[in-house]
Amino acid sequence: MFWRGLAVQWRVVGALTIREIYTRFGRESLGFAWIVAEPLVFAVPVLFMWRALRGSHEHGIAVMPFLWSGYLPILLFRHLGGRILLFIRGNAGLLYHRRVKILDIFAARAILEIGGNLTALIASFALFYAIGAVDVPQDLPMLYLGYFFMIWWAVAAALIIGGLSERSDWVAQIWMPYSYMYLVFSGFFYLADWLPPALRKVALYQPYTQAYEMIRAGVFGSTIKTYGDPAYTAFILGILTLIGLWVMREGRKYVVVE
Amino acid sequence: MIQAIDVSKEYRSEGRVHRVLNSVSFTVQRGEKIAVLGRNGAGKSTLLRLLGGVEVPTSGRIDQTMSLSWPLGLQGGFQGSLTGNDNLRFIARIYNKPFDYIRAYVDDFAELGKFLSEPVRTYSTGMRARFAFALSLAVDFDCYLIDEIIAAGDQRFQRRSHEELFEKRADRAMILASHIGDIVKAYCSRALVLHRGRGKLFDDLDLALDIYNSL
Repeated sequence: MFWRGLAVQWRVVGALTIREIYTRFGRESLGFAWIVAEPLVFAVPVLFMWRALRGSHEHGIAVMPFLWSGYLPILLFRHLGGRILLFIRGNAGLLYHRRVKILDIFAARAILEIGGNLTALIASFALFYAIGAVDVPQDLPMLYLGYFFMIWWAVAAALIIGGLSERSDWVAQIWMPYSYMYLVFSGFFYLADWLPPALRKVALYQPYTQAYEMIRAGVFGSTIKTYGDPAYTAFILGILTLIGLWVMREGRKYVVVE
Repeated sequence: MIQAIDVSKEYRSEGRVHRVLNSVSFTVQRGEKIAVLGRNGAGKSTLLRLLGGVEVPTSGRIDQTMSLSWPLGLQGGFQGSLTGNDNLRFIARIYNKPFDYIRAYVDDFAELGKFLSEPVRTYSTGMRARFAFALSLAVDFDCYLIDEIIAAGDQRFQRRSHEELFEKRADRAMILASHIGDIVKAYCSRALVLHRGRGKLFDDLDLALDIYNSL
């Protein structure tokens, strides 16, 4: 029974993913290629502008790898969170089919966003590596772990945002300012090591700051001091995920399908 | 079997709560054909949506051991921007049916011809109803949830629907929401009357229709 259920779910998520590609990119156009190009179109100019304005080193570390490893998680978080807003309402028609659960729609969207983001990560690395702007990361397993936590955070946050936005509209109102402020406090611009100890302690309560620390450790290795704590990060993200699943299930009661 | 137990549904709009269904309970056995009677706004469509799993009850629960169609009505169930064929492909994937079979069946039954490669939003109401109905027959459910759709389509379509649903699939259950006494009498054996959020299932169809007509 469980395996059969799993097979149905797997098929539904697959069908939804294909449908999502059709509806979002059309059948004739570049399709998946655009998912990859989209983040690059945003990321590349920002990175070059930053470099031009601020010079190639900050606090003694190279700016390009610092920004490259920082910006793609931001894109993932903003895309997943932003698209998930009201996503149930937008796709309510799909719920006509009993086999389609809200979490399936969510999963299909998350798979596309994460797949696109990871491909963009690799493509942008190849591009920057080719022009000599970034080196091969020092500690790949640590980089993978940090990025894995970033993906997990984006998913957990999107679950919470998606579930809450079904219940009240203020979630959509605060999302925009929040997603901009996130740029400042997330750890995109800083290492925990640069902060005064009291502030550092506060910053490290944030799971995404933790994940950034691990990503930076992966990129720069022992040339910098980092404070990532995988056990704490997994614990806090586990709790956020459970909250997200609960909020999503409760949100389902408020969904009105035309 | 489908069993609705104390099912209530509330909607909120502008801070006010409307209780559309209030603690409705009933059971439908395999093969039974049940009419849902009620005036406009009595909650017929809402009930079908809850049964179909499109929306979720505010309280109470619905147990089912049969496969239920989605509510077949004049809207819903399709992605308007996708073509008929793409919608078929999607639904064939979800229900794990061969696309070629589904397509051939729908093509034959709904008689949409080249419209199958046009976006569904360009379909007329009648075409959409035919498309939905044909597709649900192709997928093959134990119980069909029908929201007034029988009245859609021309004579020929009605005759074929009747043949497919009531002759070839006489063993299937059906829950039919309708205003029209004749249709109810022709197809159903029992009736659920909805009024002011309350629902009662009558074994005597004539009594149910009398009560409905006096509401």
